[in-house]
Formats: sequence, structure tokens, C-alpha cells
Amino acid sequence: MTTFGKTAVMALSAIAASALASTAVSAATLAEIQESGTIRIAVANEIPYGYVDPMGEAMGAGPDVAKAIMEELGVENIEWVTTNFSSLIPGLQADRFDMVAAEMAILPDRCQQVLFSEPNTSYGEGLLVAAGNPKDIHAYSDFAENPDLRVAIMAGADQLEMMQKLGVDEANLVTIAANADAISTVSTGRADAYAATSLTASGLADQNDGVEVAGEFTDPVIDGVEVRSWGGFTFASGNEELRDAVNGALADFKQSPEWSEILTGYGFTQADVDGSATRTTEELCAE
Amino acid sequence: MLFGYEWDLSSPLAFAISILPILLTGMVVTIQAAVLGFLVALVLGLIWAVLKAAPSRFISWPAKVVTEFIRDTPLLVQLFFLYYVLPEYGIILPAFMTGALALGIQYSAYTSEVYRAGLEAVGADQREAARALNLSSARTFTHIVVPQAIPRIIPAMGNYLVSIMKDVPVLSVVTVLEMLNVAKIVGDRTFDYLVPLSMVGAIYLIMTLVASTGVRLLDTWLPKQGIPLK
Amino acid sequence: MHWTEYFPPLMEGAWVTIQLTVYSTIFGAILAFAAGIGKLSSNWAIKAVSVAYIEVFRGTSLLVQLFWLYFALPIAGMAIGVDLRLPPVAAGVLALSLNIGAYGAEVVRGAIQSVHKDQHEAARALNFTPRQTLWNITIPQAIPEMMPSFGNLAVQNLKDTALVSLISLGDLTFRAEQIRNFTQDSTTIYSMLLVTYFGMALVLTAIMRGLETYVGRWRTARS
Repeated sequence: MTTFGKTAVMALSAIAASALASTAVSAATLAEIQESGTIRIAVANEIPYGYVDPMGEAMGAGPDVAKAIMEELGVENIEWVTTNFSSLIPGLQADRFDMVAAEMAILPDRCQQVLFSEPNTSYGEGLLVAAGNPKDIHAYSDFAENPDLRVAIMAGADQLEMMQKLGVDEANLVTIAANADAISTVSTGRADAYAATSLTASGLADQNDGVEVAGEFTDPVIDGVEVRSWGGFTFASGNEELRDAVNGALADFKQSPEWSEILTGYGFTQADVDGSATRTTEELCAE
Repeated sequence: MLFGYEWDLSSPLAFAISILPILLTGMVVTIQAAVLGFLVALVLGLIWAVLKAAPSRFISWPAKVVTEFIRDTPLLVQLFFLYYVLPEYGIILPAFMTGALALGIQYSAYTSEVYRAGLEAVGADQREAARALNLSSARTFTHIVVPQAIPRIIPAMGNYLVSIMKDVPVLSVVTVLEMLNVAKIVGDRTFDYLVPLSMVGAIYLIMTLVASTGVRLLDTWLPKQGIPLK
Repeated sequence: MHWTEYFPPLMEGAWVTIQLTVYSTIFGAILAFAAGIGKLSSNWAIKAVSVAYIEVFRGTSLLVQLFWLYFALPIAGMAIGVDLRLPPVAAGVLALSLNIGAYGAEVVRGAIQSVHKDQHEAARALNFTPRQTLWNITIPQAIPEMMPSFGNLAVQNLKDTALVSLISLGDLTFRAEQIRNFTQDSTTIYSMLLVTYFGMALVLTAIMRGLETYVGRWRTARS
């Protein structure tokens, strides 16, 4: 090989190696984050819990509260990452980001994989149906009773467990990758409804006339209890320090009026806001 | 559990064995989508080839632009377009059909070239000889040109069938339950992606080896001079 | 949002796509040469590795390779105690390069084998070592043979970059999906997306044709 060739190959390999090496960071502890001043936070593009507008600005109940928390912790810069909902937990485990602000429901299965902060929000379930609700669907249990109906759920979301516990057959489930696909899936009849939280459903219904929130909705009853979910911030297993710091700042922030203003501004009802304080993460993980 | 099969998380090997039937169910969908897409590509490609060979510029030129456009744009984007835009104009196809259609359209741009090259490769002397023997152009086409073109076309088409099979995983973005999508769902629920994805890779390798060997065998089996259409 | 407002995020995404295409095509070309020459090597170890690489990466789907590098590799790394967590950029460029390198390797091999045997004999007569023959005689003559196929592979690579949007890498397709998420304006966005890719492909084809002519200038000079 000519000397030029050799140098060229070595230069390119060096660039490649340094590019790969510099981006493969290891788990950022609280100290590292405060020192570097940057934290990477992920959302799953689910309105109104955590989403990114086309310009890259993060909005939603999770991000807005996260911004306030980070300010209190002295972290100036937030790098927002958007990813699929089903990639949120794997992403934390693979250290692609330090924190998730998507108001993920605190569930025992998830607690085994990641750490949760104290609840930030609480929310109930809902259904998105085609305009006019042609199939007259009002509850998750309708899908167990009527085997002709198909329901769409988001990959990785807890509606899967709910459906399974209600006895809905696997063949009646359509798994979509992203929240935004729901409108198209339901309005075109590829699924008869989309099962998601009530706020997600109303957020989607606002975007398109072809879909609406199913009226007279009754919450799914599983194991004798009406289902209600508590959403919080998520951290990688082992990152207790960061979680505790965020919990401290969150508790402080909840005292201020801004916190409930943010939540109600995104459509949470006062009941949802008050409900977030009724359970602790420890209780929710132990169920 | 998926498709009625439970998985066994006790050890990687047990996990692999327990999800094999699940992945094979996905494989069946993969093969169905590939074959259907291939058929669409064969038919549509022939239409493009005929249009591109038309004597009138008004017909051939738009056909050339359209096939170039299809060739130069990603399958993923074409799939999104068919899946999300068509319904806005009233055409609602199930996800599987949309996927097969997208595959067929993308590959029709390539198959039209195969048709063209295959037909052109039949030497001009053949056509001259047919003229000398007073054969009509229709008969020349069906009895002389096409039989000699087929042995050249079929292997190339076979290779595109193998390529289509490798492009089927893209259909996972529109909820088609082909093999990769199934593996990803298993991974999402168990948080172990390594076993399912590695198995999918291995199964794909086997599938393409079998298919390419099949194409090569077909190539040797086909008579080089041509297949009479009678 | 008015459709002209879609331009800034789409152009940012287009820039990422261009960078991805350039990096992966260059790395892919390096891999293609390595594996293509390796397959012709008399050293059976090198040949085995090259053949294995080519068969595996040509025989499996690019999306499967991409997902494996992004989702499965970190888990494999944890099992052997090595940190193999690739960021999306690395996984994307790596998957694209490996894939196009495997296809390119066959092109390289074919082009090298097409160089006339007389050339090798003449080099032998002039006392060239095999290595000198390879680098100074064979490859320069093989390169013009490869260029047309490389042109096709480069465009194929550009189209394949759209798949990295599925691992949340902010390329053109990803940014378009984000806008659609927000506005649900599918027709406009996807049409703009298709046209942008078409434009980039035409430019890339023109560049590759120019390269073809540049590399093959000595051929036309003869006659």
C-alpha cells in the first residue's frame, strides 16, 4: 500500500474509533451530571405526558416538571431524546439516556427492571374510537365479551397486561409502535378502538375529526379494583442517588402552585392531581 | 405468551427452544408477504417494461420517470405513504396487503429492467431470421423471442425474490406480524432481545441459503436455448 | 403548521441522512476491499473470515442486523462483561457499513478477477511481488470496472439510511415522522419526503457517474 493509502486508512480508523468511543458514555451518576451540567432525558412522544414538537422543544407534564426539577438541582442543560415507548426501559438499561420523563405507570414488573421516582401524576384509562363510535364500545371488557372486536395497544404499554387479565384473546390485539399511529389505525378500521390512558385518548381525539373519545367509559375492573395508574420519572437500576435527588426536588416542587398549574394545563383533572399523592412508589412496586 | 405459546425464561437455551414455534409462525407470514410481493412485482414490472418500450415518447418517458422515482426512494417511505396516505383518499387496505403492495411496487422497478434486458439479449439475428421466414411479429414474439428470454429472466427474478424476503422485516412498522416484529414483541415483553434477534438472524440465513440454492438449481435445470411456450 | 414550516426540521434530518450515507459508504468501501481481496487470498484463515462475513451480511436482512446491533449487542456485552452499548449513530453507521461492505465485496472480487491474466503474467515477468502486483497493477485496473456497481450500491445505501429512523436516529425519515406525529398531515409530509430522497438520489447518481468517468479516464485515453 502506498504511504498515502496507509495514512488515509489509519486516519479514518482513528476518526471512527474516537467517534465511537466518545459517544459510548457510561451511566451518569448525579455527581457527573451536576458536574457536566447536562442530563439526557427521554420521552415517547405521547401527548400530553411527554412529547417533542417538530422543532425539538420538549413539552408535556413530564418534561415541564422535569425542567423545574433540573433547575433546582443545578443542571442547566437537558438533552431530549425521543424514542418508542417500548424502548424506554431498554434504553435506560443500555444507558442511552439517564432519565425518562414519560410518566410511565409505576408497576411491579417495571420496578424490577428500573427505579421510579415518587408519583408525579395519576391517570385513568380511556378508549379512542372512530367518530360516532360505530361499534358502541364503552369499556375494555367489551373486547373480551365480543371476539369480533379488535383493540389496538401501544407496544410496551401496560394496557397489554390489562387486556390479558380481562381475558381478551391475543388475536384481537393489534400492537402499534407509536402513539401517533393510533389515529390512523382507528379511523381506518384496522382496529375498532385504541386502549390508552384517558388523556392520551383525548389528546389524540383533539388532533383529528375522524376519531373521538368513547363516551360513558367505565374504568376496567381488574382483581376487583378499578384500574388507576400512577406515573413517575424512571431511572436506570442502580442510580439511586439520582432518583433520590429528583424525589427531593419533586417533593419541593409539588408544594408550589406551578406544579398543579402545569398538570391542569395539560388536561389533568383536579382529581388526577390530588390522586397522585395517594400512593407511594414503594406501595405500587410491591403490589 | 404469544400465539398461544408460553416462553420459558429459565435458561437461554430453554428460552430459545420455547420461542421457536412463535418465530416460525412469523416466518410463515414473512414467506407469504415475500411471495405475494414478488407476484405483484412480476406483473407490475411487465407493465412498466411494455410502457417503457412503447414507440410513443408520451408513454415511454413518463414510465421511465416513474420507475426511476420508485427505484430511488426508500421502501420504508413508500410503505408509510401507502399505509397512511391511501386511507385519506378512501383506499383502506389491511396492513399485510399494504406491505405486499409496497414490496411489489418497489421491486417492479427492478423487474421491469430484467424484462427489458432479457428481451433485448435475444439477438437481432433471431428476429432477422424470423423475418426471413415470413413469421408475423406476433408469432416472432411468442414463439421465438420470449422462449429464449425466459432462461435469462428467471434466475435474475429468483435473485430478486431472495432480496424481497430480506426486505420483508420493514413491514413490521405497519404492524405486520412477520418474523422480526414477532421477535421484537417477545423482546419487549421479556427484556431479552439477544436470543430472539439472534434466532431471527439465523433463521434468515437458512432461508436465504435455501432460496439461493434453489435459484441456482433452477438456473442449471433451465435449458439454455429456451423453453417453448407450447 | 403550514407546510413550508416543515422545511427546517426536514433539512436538519436531510443533513443527518447525508452524513450517514457518506460515512457508511466510505467505511463500507473499506470493508468491501478488505473482504473482496480477502476472499481471493491464498491464506485460508483470511479467506474463511471474508467468506463468513460476506455470507452472513448478504444473507440476512439489514433491518435484522440493525436491530441486533442496537438491541441485542448490549445484552451480549453484559453477558461477557464488556460494555457494548452502541449509541444509535454508531449502531446505524456500523450496520449500514457492514451490509454494504458485504455486497461491495462481491463487486470488488468480480472486478479484480476480470483483470486480464496477461497483466499478471507481465507483472511476474517484470519481477513484481504479488503484493505490488495487487496494489499497482490489478486494483487500478479493477476500479473502473467496479464503479458502475458501486454507483448502484451507493444509491441503495442512501435508501437504506431511512431504516435508522427505526432506532430513533434523527435522520430525514425520523424528523418527518415527528412532524406527522404532531400534525397528522400524512400526504404532504410523505410526498415531501419522497421528493427529497429522489433529489438526493439523483445528486448521488450524478456524483458517482462523475467519479466513474474520472477513474476511467486512462481507459478512453488509450484509443
